[in-house]
Amino acid sequence: METIDDSEFKVEYISTSGVYKTFFTLIILLQFSVGCIIIILVNLWFFNDLYYLLTGRKFLPFLLIGQWWEWFLLPLNIYGNLLLFAFSIILFSSTIYKILNKMHPPKEGSFERGSKEWKYTHRRFWTAYFPIWLARSLPLPWSDIIVYRFLGVHIGKNVVAYEGYIDPELIEIGDYTMTSLNICIFSHLIYQDKIIIKKVKIGKACIVGPQTIISPGTVLQDGAVLGVNSYTRPNQVLESDLIHVGTPVSMTLPIQTIEESQKKVERIKSEPIESTNLNDKDKSGGRI
Amino acid sequence: MFQPASLKGDSPTPIDERLRNKFLILYIFIIILSFIPCILFEWFYFVLLWKEGLYLLPIFLFPLNILVLIHLLHLGAILFSILFLTLINLIFPPKEGVFNRSIKDKNYIYWNLRNIIKKWPLFITASNPFPWFKNRFTLRFFGVKIGRNGIHDNSWISSEFISIGKNVIIGMNSTVLSFGIEQETFILKKIVIEDDVLIGAKCVLLPGTHVKHNAKLSAHSYTNFDDNLEENSIYIGHPAKKKE
Repeated sequence: METIDDSEFKVEYISTSGVYKTFFTLIILLQFSVGCIIIILVNLWFFNDLYYLLTGRKFLPFLLIGQWWEWFLLPLNIYGNLLLFAFSIILFSSTIYKILNKMHPPKEGSFERGSKEWKYTHRRFWTAYFPIWLARSLPLPWSDIIVYRFLGVHIGKNVVAYEGYIDPELIEIGDYTMTSLNICIFSHLIYQDKIIIKKVKIGKACIVGPQTIISPGTVLQDGAVLGVNSYTRPNQVLESDLIHVGTPVSMTLPIQTIEESQKKVERIKSEPIESTNLNDKDKSGGRI
Repeated sequence: MFQPASLKGDSPTPIDERLRNKFLILYIFIIILSFIPCILFEWFYFVLLWKEGLYLLPIFLFPLNILVLIHLLHLGAILFSILFLTLINLIFPPKEGVFNRSIKDKNYIYWNLRNIIKKWPLFITASNPFPWFKNRFTLRFFGVKIGRNGIHDNSWISSEFISIGKNVIIGMNSTVLSFGIEQETFILKKIVIEDDVLIGAKCVLLPGTHVKHNAKLSAHSYTNFDDNLEENSIYIGHPAKKKE
């Protein structure tokens, strides 16, 4: 960490993250078939019984109970199969992810196209694609966070991450933060035939506003607020208990209660126009 | 890539509510027709493989069955929508220009009709789990020229009057529109994007822009109508201006 120059992270413009399709994307078929086979093996006896009750024939000679009350277990079966399918795929892909991390762990810095880092980021992203898609399409909206925790992203208590794009590696989010619609938290950028990777740290009780972009390397300290429709530059530090706004972030405002801001408005209205002197000490404090 | 609902990227097909109720039957008809190849395949699968003594074979080949079913749905949806599209394009071919936005204007009616026909296949191919048959695959059937080796799966690219070159990277949640709706006018113009362009996250390209070779748009910037972005240069801001 200390040997990386900060000059590597000076960018003239901010682009996106994204990966091409490689030959490794066929691992989705492997994950899908692993999930299906586990469901089939667990459910063989149940469907044997139902077929016997319907037609009188059976396709397995053993494991036959065949009573009428097994029809009432059908809804449990359907929901249980959904969860089994999802979590077996999540466990399988997290083991592959850990094997890939041991072969070539993720590093920070800027790397060129064609290097080993580029290839291994592609492979890590495509292993994480299918379980996150599944978790977002299940009827349980918090299953997102379980997948991110299996993949190594530190997410704290009471965080909802359903409506934004979060990269599946090198991110830390603290307890009790709020995230909103349409955000993008990038930890790697594509920039002029290179790829820039750095860790993003978000502290406790922050608020990330809607339609924002957080670029790699930013640090949000405890209690910071990112305003609507703004984006941060790489390696930017946002201070705690203040509101930061701008494209790129350039303005900071203090957090006020409604009574304080109303008192301020009355104070500004009640001043006579002649006494607006820039050298007065009363006017210099508390203004932005 | 990981597709929260706000980044889904099925291309925008807005429909006027006053016209939607007239043509609802067409929409439902296309949905029903697209399921026919799946039903035929299922019937053949169980008739041929479900026999005495061979019960375990169709059970263990069931995941393959599901994979084939999903892809057959996509292909069926695309097939039947292309049939209806060619019929309507023979009656009234699509044109570019500035028109009047009213129910009695012919260009507006036929634009809405084309959107109704294209809505189902674009929706269903954007919401499938496998990444190799998404927007790029279906947009090529509808007349959009897209080159190889690009990243544009999480962006909203409209389905007419667009051509995109090779090695283009379009960022997350950006929109490339070829139509514009204002209070009384309705604009349709072409967008051309050439090779090796990089467009950042959350940009908006309005109709009529021409982005030339190796240009770059920073994140969160908007372009004007009929903009020309020159070669090998960087643009920032809303509205987009050249950086020096």
